[in-house]
Amino acid sequence: MNYVFHILIMINIYIILSVSTNLLVGMANLLSLGQAAFYGIGAYVTAYALIGLGLPLLPTLLLAMGVTAIFSFLLAYISLKLEGDYFILATLGFQIIIFTILYNWIDVTRGPYGIPGIPSPKLFGLVKIEGITGYIILSTILSAITIFVFYKIINSPFGRALKGMRDDEIAMISLGKNITVLKVEAFVLSSAFVAIAGFIYASYISYIDPTSFNLDEAIFILTAILIGGTGNIKGPVIGAVFVVLLPEILRFVGMPDNLAANMRMIIYGLTLIILMRYRPQGIAGEYKFSK
Amino acid sequence: MFIQFLINGLITGSIYALVSLGFALVYNTTRIFHIAYAILYMIAPYFLMTFLIKLQISPILSILIAISLTIIVSLATELFVYAPLVKKKSSPNVLMISSIGVMIIAINLVALCYGNETKIINPSLSDSYKIGNIIITYNQIIQFITSSVFIGLFMVFLKFSKFGIMTRAMRDDTELCKVFSMNVPGFRLVLFAISGLFAAIGGILTAWDFGMDPYVGMPMLLNAIVALIIGGIGKFQAPVIGGLVLGVLQALSVLVFSANWKDAIAFSVLVLFLLFRPQGFIGEKRRLV
Repeated sequence: MNYVFHILIMINIYIILSVSTNLLVGMANLLSLGQAAFYGIGAYVTAYALIGLGLPLLPTLLLAMGVTAIFSFLLAYISLKLEGDYFILATLGFQIIIFTILYNWIDVTRGPYGIPGIPSPKLFGLVKIEGITGYIILSTILSAITIFVFYKIINSPFGRALKGMRDDEIAMISLGKNITVLKVEAFVLSSAFVAIAGFIYASYISYIDPTSFNLDEAIFILTAILIGGTGNIKGPVIGAVFVVLLPEILRFVGMPDNLAANMRMIIYGLTLIILMRYRPQGIAGEYKFSK
Repeated sequence: MFIQFLINGLITGSIYALVSLGFALVYNTTRIFHIAYAILYMIAPYFLMTFLIKLQISPILSILIAISLTIIVSLATELFVYAPLVKKKSSPNVLMISSIGVMIIAINLVALCYGNETKIINPSLSDSYKIGNIIITYNQIIQFITSSVFIGLFMVFLKFSKFGIMTRAMRDDTELCKVFSMNVPGFRLVLFAISGLFAAIGGILTAWDFGMDPYVGMPMLLNAIVALIIGGIGKFQAPVIGGLVLGVLQALSVLVFSANWKDAIAFSVLVLFLLFRPQGFIGEKRRLV
């Protein structure tokens, strides 16, 4: 049963990652290769807040979201002046720089040794989130909140403005919308919620190291939402479930472990290529990357 | 010390220049953000290892076979992945995502066949020459001469041959090339072949010295892209200048900080260039906004 619960917690983490990344990729047409960096910043801030400051749950979560939002505002300020490939490059650069700092600034981040022994957070100083049952409740609540918030955002005037901008920037400018502000808002919102996933991951696994937040992870997050599809809520959710479940399915089919790790990546890659050719909106998405 | 690092930087930079030139050849003409280019650099030394060590074929022949196979992989990427998408008029993002897909598949196929660990092609230590205080290895000399020769030849062909004129025409206006009845899909194959050639040579030269694992492609691709941007997009001399500058900069950053910070420094330079001099050293001014 613990095994099923663990999978469900990982699915919740990836649902949060993909639903919030969708706001950038599917709603604002900003393909970001830097999402794993924000995931990592959220996780590291959580680790410091829980170990160093001994903060309870909600302040830790808010701190992680706040610090990540500040970083994402900085990146947005720099990168949103750029367009298309150059924007992707700037986010890629950010990803590499953050990873290098996490990996090499050993005095502060302990580098490749990682941060072990992250304690469980306490809710209102009373209830301690403990054991796998505690985390399944916590992660389900947080992913439900994330889905709810982004559902509301997508169907709000702000969401419609983003869609408008994605489909025709010039038309939106002529309607008097400030597209730079729209993009910055989407960027900061998306990254702040990515930090929630970092929070759950750090406190649940209770050990973090930089390799969980490298470029491969950023590509993996992107793969999840591109397979599921972007532009709505169900696409990213399906994508997250797919990428987390596939390795488990391969294990049940009886694929040996040493092949399974590579095989699943090959399946992701093939799925991406085939989807991009025949169904760019993914399994259940809405946006076809038409621009 | 300083001069030693400078020379090491120039030699590494010459390989960056060659690999970056291959990337630029595709990017400047087709506007594809060719991430799968990383795997050509990685896969060439694996082909070489298969023929040289497993099948015991003579070195020269093995190198030629390895390079040809890499070119075939490059052509296959264009034929089976990019060309159909271009025909469908897919957006640049779709092409880039498919390219990521190709990269993921190839890296994991190689990892499946050869394993994740670092492989060595040439186990012996390279001879070195001492000039004053400066030590240069035999491999470094080969690296510098080979990449310089190929870059030089390419520049001559770019300037004086029909191929060069067509390449520059593609860079300036692909639609107009079609109007003048140029066979654009066919010529793209030529470009992909040459870019595969450059990646293969860069990959083999580096792997001969340091060995390779399935993940060497991405860091090199990132260096090639940084070299291209700081040189300037649009001109073919740019990646060469950018590559040499980046090589020297990284070597000096090793001298000042430590080797661990190389990537962060390269990308900090990239971000500074994107912000303050997006046209790079010699690129044409263009609006990025």
